[in-house]
Amino acid sequence: MSKRDLLTEVWRRPAGIRALTEVNNVYVGRYFIATAFTFFIFAGILALLIRLQLAVPDNDLLDPVAYNQIFTMHGTAMMFLVAVPIMEGFAVYLLPQMLGARDLPFPRLSAFGYWCYVLGGILLFSSFLFGAAPLDGWFMYPPLSLSQFSPGVNADFWLLGITFVEISALTAAVEIIVGVMKTRAPHMRLQDMPIFGWYMLVTALMIIFAFPPLLVGDAMLEGERAFGFPFFDAARGGDPVMWQHLFWIFGHPEVYIIFLPAAGIVSTILPVMVGRPLVAHNLFILSAVSTGFISFGLWVHHMFTVGIPHLSLNFFSAASMAVAIPSGIQVFGWIATLWGTRPKMTTPLLFILGFLFIFSFGGLTGVMVASVPFDWQVHDTQFVVAHFHYVLVGGMIFPVFAALYYWMPLHSGRMMSERVGKWVFWLKFIGFNLTFGPLHFAGLLGMPRRVYLHPEELGLGPINFVSTIGAFMMGVAALLFIIDLIRHHRHGPIAGSNPWNAGSLEWAGTTPMAPSGSTSLPPVQCRYPLWEDRSLNDRVQAGEFYMAIPATGGRETMRTGSISGEPEQVIVLPGPTWIPLAAAISVAFMIVGGLLYEGWMILVGGVVTLSLLVRWSWSTDYRHPEEIVNVGMNTRLPTYGSAPDSHAWWGLATALLADLAAYGGLLFCYFYMWTVAPEWPPEGIEATGERLPVAIAAAILILGSVIVQGSVIALRRGHAWIAKLAMPLAALAGLAWIGLELGVALDAWPEPQAHNYPTMAWAVLAYNMLHVLVAVLMALVVTLRLWLGLVTPERSIMIDNTALFWHTTLAFALVGVGVVHFYPLMLQGG
Amino acid sequence: MQSALHPAGPEAAEVANLWWAMFVGSILIMILVVGMIAWGLLRARGDEKLAGKTMIYLFGIGLPLVTLTALIYFSVDLTTRSRSGDTVAATIEVVGKRWWWEVRYPGAAPDGSDIITANEIRIPAGQPVEIYLSTTDVIHSFWVPAIAGKLDMIPGRLNRMVIQADEPGEYRGQCAEFCGEQHALMAFMLVAQPPEEYAAWLEAQARPAPEPEDPFLARGRDAFLDAGCGTCHRVRGTTADGVLGPDLTHVGSRLTIGAGTLPNGIGPLAGWIADSQSIKPRNLMPNFNNFDGETLRAIAAWLESLE
Amino acid sequence: MDHPLSPLAAPAAMLVALSCLALLTGCESEVPDHLMVPGGDVRAGREAIRDYGCGACHVIPGIRGARGAVGPPLEGFSHRAYIAGQIPNRPEELIQWLADPPAMIPGTAMPGVGLTPQQKRDVAAYLYTLR
Repeated sequence: MSKRDLLTEVWRRPAGIRALTEVNNVYVGRYFIATAFTFFIFAGILALLIRLQLAVPDNDLLDPVAYNQIFTMHGTAMMFLVAVPIMEGFAVYLLPQMLGARDLPFPRLSAFGYWCYVLGGILLFSSFLFGAAPLDGWFMYPPLSLSQFSPGVNADFWLLGITFVEISALTAAVEIIVGVMKTRAPHMRLQDMPIFGWYMLVTALMIIFAFPPLLVGDAMLEGERAFGFPFFDAARGGDPVMWQHLFWIFGHPEVYIIFLPAAGIVSTILPVMVGRPLVAHNLFILSAVSTGFISFGLWVHHMFTVGIPHLSLNFFSAASMAVAIPSGIQVFGWIATLWGTRPKMTTPLLFILGFLFIFSFGGLTGVMVASVPFDWQVHDTQFVVAHFHYVLVGGMIFPVFAALYYWMPLHSGRMMSERVGKWVFWLKFIGFNLTFGPLHFAGLLGMPRRVYLHPEELGLGPINFVSTIGAFMMGVAALLFIIDLIRHHRHGPIAGSNPWNAGSLEWAGTTPMAPSGSTSLPPVQCRYPLWEDRSLNDRVQAGEFYMAIPATGGRETMRTGSISGEPEQVIVLPGPTWIPLAAAISVAFMIVGGLLYEGWMILVGGVVTLSLLVRWSWSTDYRHPEEIVNVGMNTRLPTYGSAPDSHAWWGLATALLADLAAYGGLLFCYFYMWTVAPEWPPEGIEATGERLPVAIAAAILILGSVIVQGSVIALRRGHAWIAKLAMPLAALAGLAWIGLELGVALDAWPEPQAHNYPTMAWAVLAYNMLHVLVAVLMALVVTLRLWLGLVTPERSIMIDNTALFWHTTLAFALVGVGVVHFYPLMLQGG
Repeated sequence: MQSALHPAGPEAAEVANLWWAMFVGSILIMILVVGMIAWGLLRARGDEKLAGKTMIYLFGIGLPLVTLTALIYFSVDLTTRSRSGDTVAATIEVVGKRWWWEVRYPGAAPDGSDIITANEIRIPAGQPVEIYLSTTDVIHSFWVPAIAGKLDMIPGRLNRMVIQADEPGEYRGQCAEFCGEQHALMAFMLVAQPPEEYAAWLEAQARPAPEPEDPFLARGRDAFLDAGCGTCHRVRGTTADGVLGPDLTHVGSRLTIGAGTLPNGIGPLAGWIADSQSIKPRNLMPNFNNFDGETLRAIAAWLESLE
Repeated sequence: MDHPLSPLAAPAAMLVALSCLALLTGCESEVPDHLMVPGGDVRAGREAIRDYGCGACHVIPGIRGARGAVGPPLEGFSHRAYIAGQIPNRPEELIQWLADPPAMIPGTAMPGVGLTPQQKRDVAAYLYTLR
């Protein structure tokens, strides 16, 4: 075997059933896209059922229960199973090669995320088979979603399925952030990164901060449904509006989590179609970043009718309008880019122009609903339905179709039909406007959303009939697309190399894209390398640049400086493995156990998951026998990097940001309850618990953190024996803290179900106990590895990461202890 | 009738004006955007002065800044003026229930007790009235598009809004927050009357149900009570004192039954009693089809007579 | 990669298809002579049926929301031989029945809903359009 063949060999997908063990982004990314597209078709069929039911007044095609299930699943699937995953799919599939890497830094994590997503989606859709599909609307407002009003497992399907899918979104986000920051092309500075990378970086950061609060909310809602903890039950001091806050703190950024990748797609494809770089590249980056920030300050505009004081209404109203400015910059930036270019009207370009039209209109109605008095009228009506479909279908589905047409050659090596593509576009574009344009007026004429029928006396028949016709045109468009998609694999024209004459690196090489990505990794110092140097493509394929031959003999990618892009390390990547799939299945087992209220399933699933995770982490701290390898172009790089340089450290740090967001969400709830409760702590309920044991426990936990840090320092100085003896003590300290806290909490609030106050206190404490438990486990694993000689001064990522986790846990716990056991004293004193 | 574009109250009128202004503005902006795209693709040359960043600063930042500032100004002003006010001609409590509306006029009866009705709110026209909104089960939202925007009814909270109907008339309202199976058929009528008619209506509503003179109606009442309808419904002047369903003391005076589902009358009343589950599936009242035909008619006739 | 159809061909074809669809409107049915109701207005009858809430008890074709299951569904009413299983189905009898059902069948659950004489004719006329 020649050395060049080695590259193909190590990246080859295993054959047969073992294909399921593949973790390479070139496959996992496409799995994501294909699965999301499948769910898109399912959810689209649900949409057609909705439109059929509403086509004529007083229709009894569907009964209210079926209708409620259908619209709930349509919204849920489109948001959680289509919009977010398909964008993750594009990022996973395209980013590494576009940025000039071989793969994302944590391939197994991508695969795990994918399997979680598939299983979560199947779980959600399987609810239809049991006649138990969720039916409380995709935002699941309590009390309707509490067991009193939704006694079946419908809501549990939603909560557990969505939790699963959220895990997948978070894993992808960690992957994308670390990928963008640490594994770009050699010498690619941050400012030379393709615009899609920027958009995905902002999106991933938003996922990191937006999804965890919803996870907290899901846990609370399930906790109330399954165990009666009164987070939202007003009769026991809870507040249903708290859920709305949590949901929309997630839900509003979610809209931009969907839109920003799409804007990234448009900003990538449009310059290729018009043959000119994006005008005002930096303004686009600024827009993406500011959209990301502003989007976290808008959530209350989903709650204008809740009865919130006028002052805060006006604040959120103004903030909501402000987000129109970055959108304006982008829209006119795209127009400036296409100005005077006379491009060929290809299908991707048509979809982008369609996007510009529909999204602009959706943006304008978005400004309208940001006006409080106007929102009072149209909130929860078909006007809002029309508005958000303009934003989401215009802002997401149209760019996705552009992307599918544009990047399809990377997958199939062939072009899709331009002729069919035009039909698909016009059917979709006209159908869309016919479906949702009139619905604005249906809302103004008094048609609420989520109604399974509209009485004839409201006179909404004609509008709805037109809307239904439009919906079916979109259905035909989707059908045509699928036919062409299947057809083109065999009959489409061969695409060859760089068929669109694009400037970014995913096209460096021939189509279809090889599993390894391009043959060699070129150094990059500009945004459109294939335009800058017309010979680059051939030279890349000739293997002139870095890593044409696997330096470590296996799968690998290059770690580069976060800002400078200077080559720093060869990351040895894991190859195909069963662990991601097995871990996802065992988590699914656990979740199904939760659905069936089968304790043993939860237990078995939990134990298996935990052991798989330990098995997984066991192999993360890999050290290649060759310390330094030759990666070509006269460059020698180390094969191991220590924290905080290593990608592993970055991964954990990113994950801890998500953790922080979750904890922030929980504390937000605590303080929110304090502001809305008439009395906090309430009369007749223990306020703080015993404080002396709590203070002692806190001191012990601090000691634990000190011990861990001491072990790190000792190891670094070569005194491994100190670490070997000290780490178990840290674990002991953690256990002691849990024990003491449990004792105090059980004594103070033996029955948390009685009232919201003890429930909130327990929630904060339980969150920290869980963290300390994980910290203890990590300390024990490190101890074991220390004794086995697998953690050494030269190979220290494991202990470094454990220390990072310990210190974060300590900080969380001290805040939690302060809030639960001491803060109420200040309230009582004041 | 149930339309924000046919306003009949001050808040709805101002919002309708705001809508038309925003609508025209949006169309103009869309013409600008589409025009620029078309011009840019078909006619423009790349080196024109307008191309590039100037365009972005002018239209992407300048234009939204100006229009949004104006919109925020008007919008905030309207928000601040809306829904508040201390001088009111009437106080009404509306309680959302799955899937109907309880309406109370606290202390409005001559003896100082509450007047309770359902699915129909009468107010004096041309005068501001305050409405207190609450719920006994899930979240609902109170919305009469022709009069004002909506306000939610949330467990553990009491929301207040001041509304006004300028002219006498009947305005349909509907629940606007998804509340389960029959969210679609949870409507009500807001009836604005000249103040003197409103006063007369209040007076009539305060009276208990009269003793029926017609033996057929008396038979209907007895059957109603014997069947246990009083477990859920109240008819003042009889032993029926349930609170789970709508108060029926003056059900005959209402425009609709089943929370705006059917027009009122002996036929729909009979049909509702016998088979409300076909008319409004999953509503919380079971079918009562155990009466013989004549008894069913008698009950419906008696209810219709309760004006 | 080339596209023989101009980019506007697809939308034009679609508009043609749409207008064909719009032509598919319903058509009025003919009522046989022996079932003609003199002076009965079908359209007004449909209004009355809606205003009086007949749909609370009957499924009535052409009346949206008429989904009651208390009385018989009125599909094909013009072919029905007997009203309520007892009275010959002729215009004269139907009008009488609509005025006061218990007067003709004392045990019936159907009440007289208070139609005016004209409305009775209108409703009867409408019911005989149901084939």
